[in-house]
Amino acid sequence: MIELRRVAAVILLCVGVGAGLHLLLDPLRNAGQGAADKALTLGAGAALAVLGAIGGYLIARIPKERIRDVADRLEVLVRRGRVGMAFSDAEADALGRFGHAVNRYLAFVKDEVEQSQIAVKERQIQMKVLEAEKRHVEAVIHAISDGVLVMDSFSDLVLTNEAAKGIFGFQFEAGSRVPVEEAITDATFLDLLSEMRESGSLVPHRTAEWKRGAGECERAYRVILNTVFEGRKRDRVSGVVAVLHDVTREKEIARAKSDFVSSVSHEMKAPLASIKAYTEMLVDGDADDPAEAREFLVIIAGETDRLTRLIDKTLNLSRLESGLIAANKADLAVTELLRAVAEVVSPQAAAKGIRLEADLAPLFFHVHGDRDMLYQAILNVVSNAVKYTPEGGHVAISTYLDDGAVVVDVADTGMGVPADEIERIFEKFYRSSRSADTAAGTGLGLPLVKQIVETIHGGRVAVESEVGKGSVFRLYLPAVR
Amino acid sequence: MAARVLIADDEPCITDVVSRKLRKEGFEVIVAADGQEAYELAMAERPDFIITDLQMPRMSGLELCVRLAAELAEPVPILMLTAKGFELDPAEIARLPILAVMTKPFSPRELRDKVCQALQDLRAP
Repeated sequence: MIELRRVAAVILLCVGVGAGLHLLLDPLRNAGQGAADKALTLGAGAALAVLGAIGGYLIARIPKERIRDVADRLEVLVRRGRVGMAFSDAEADALGRFGHAVNRYLAFVKDEVEQSQIAVKERQIQMKVLEAEKRHVEAVIHAISDGVLVMDSFSDLVLTNEAAKGIFGFQFEAGSRVPVEEAITDATFLDLLSEMRESGSLVPHRTAEWKRGAGECERAYRVILNTVFEGRKRDRVSGVVAVLHDVTREKEIARAKSDFVSSVSHEMKAPLASIKAYTEMLVDGDADDPAEAREFLVIIAGETDRLTRLIDKTLNLSRLESGLIAANKADLAVTELLRAVAEVVSPQAAAKGIRLEADLAPLFFHVHGDRDMLYQAILNVVSNAVKYTPEGGHVAISTYLDDGAVVVDVADTGMGVPADEIERIFEKFYRSSRSADTAAGTGLGLPLVKQIVETIHGGRVAVESEVGKGSVFRLYLPAVR
Repeated sequence: MAARVLIADDEPCITDVVSRKLRKEGFEVIVAADGQEAYELAMAERPDFIITDLQMPRMSGLELCVRLAAELAEPVPILMLTAKGFELDPAEIARLPILAVMTKPFSPRELRDKVCQALQDLRAP
């Protein structure tokens, strides 16, 4: 009977300890860490066997009531899900000591388990952070407006972004590995990549120019190539990263700037050539008499003025275009501006016998604008009209309201602009085939008008013209309501 | 008989100063204000020497040179007087029937010397 009771007590104790360990190990199992789980289960199994053996030996020597008491306490622990039995110092018998040993062991196991749990949690967090970082880096690469390609040492494309997809027309899914020769057909670009990979550490960084398409569709790219190295000495080429930056627009701007500088220099050389030639004639004594010498000097002075005007207009236009001159806008009466312009131009018109009429509205139409700039724009249009109208002609300035805009009409009975040149007369240095024969000009007056009215004041310039009959230049300026 | 020189330029100051310089040297000078007029005058007047600008209304200096080379029975030495000197392609210039290129700003004295030299070379056997 006693033996049976002791065997039952051992089983009970083992169940108790097992339950304690189970409680401790359960969170670890759920963490899904297979290796740690197995090790702990094995450890726990071994500990259980040892505890069972020791327990069996000790329990055989312990009175029945004590065992029952301990068994009850273990059950309480299991019910409450707690680790560690309470043993008072008074319980100094074998069972008490055994209980203390079990408690210490359980505390040790609990500590180990907690440490493992923390490590697992940390690893999980690290994994999540890495995943998030990877997704973030991928998102950043995809968001880059430059094309990005990463080729590995096996000549497979391992990473490409949306911009690269747009440039090369890739059909494959993002994230898939594709042999570079299948993905890219352009031989020049493939050569760039393979040269880069083969050059290894000799040329680890390189910038090249690459063009795609032809004619109107041609796009120019600056390709920045970098070799990726691996290995302890970073001496093994593991791939090539190519970044393609679209420089088509930059090239267009550079070309436009170069054309502009070229045109300005060309235009400046004309008066300069005259100044130099007539000066040399004077120096060489080519003037037959003081009257001819004076004639040369008058031409030199005139050409100097022309050069100055050209420089001033070029600077004005370039400052306006680059936004260096800020518009000083205020509400102003257009009628008052027109009156001022008419006054300035009337001597020029009178000299050619041109009738200059300013049919100004009795009402003062107001616009919000920069007075000096608008004055310059209107002056350019009116003085052009006088310049290109033959003697005895007629120039009329009028103003009226049209659909929220104050309109300034400058009509002349001049030579007119051929229909195919109407758009071009607003280009810098463009001079109509007819205007060049008639009057001197810089070819910058109308571009300045367009810049001032359209870009700075949000208005519009329109031209109606009939060759041989005349033109109407119409400036639309947003009215102040 | 005085040699006849045609000067074509859309800048009146240039044709004026060149005419004055050459007339003082005893040349007969014909003036054209654009390429088309220069072509017509060259065909009608058969000048001994032509000085032309490159960029002109109606017909460019290049087209003028090409057409005259093709249509004139006897070639006429042509001097291109242009502000775009360094922008011209030397290979293209070499292909054209042009004696010399002179860039603006220019020296009327040097221009006169070039014309005199060219006419002298032509007359020499």
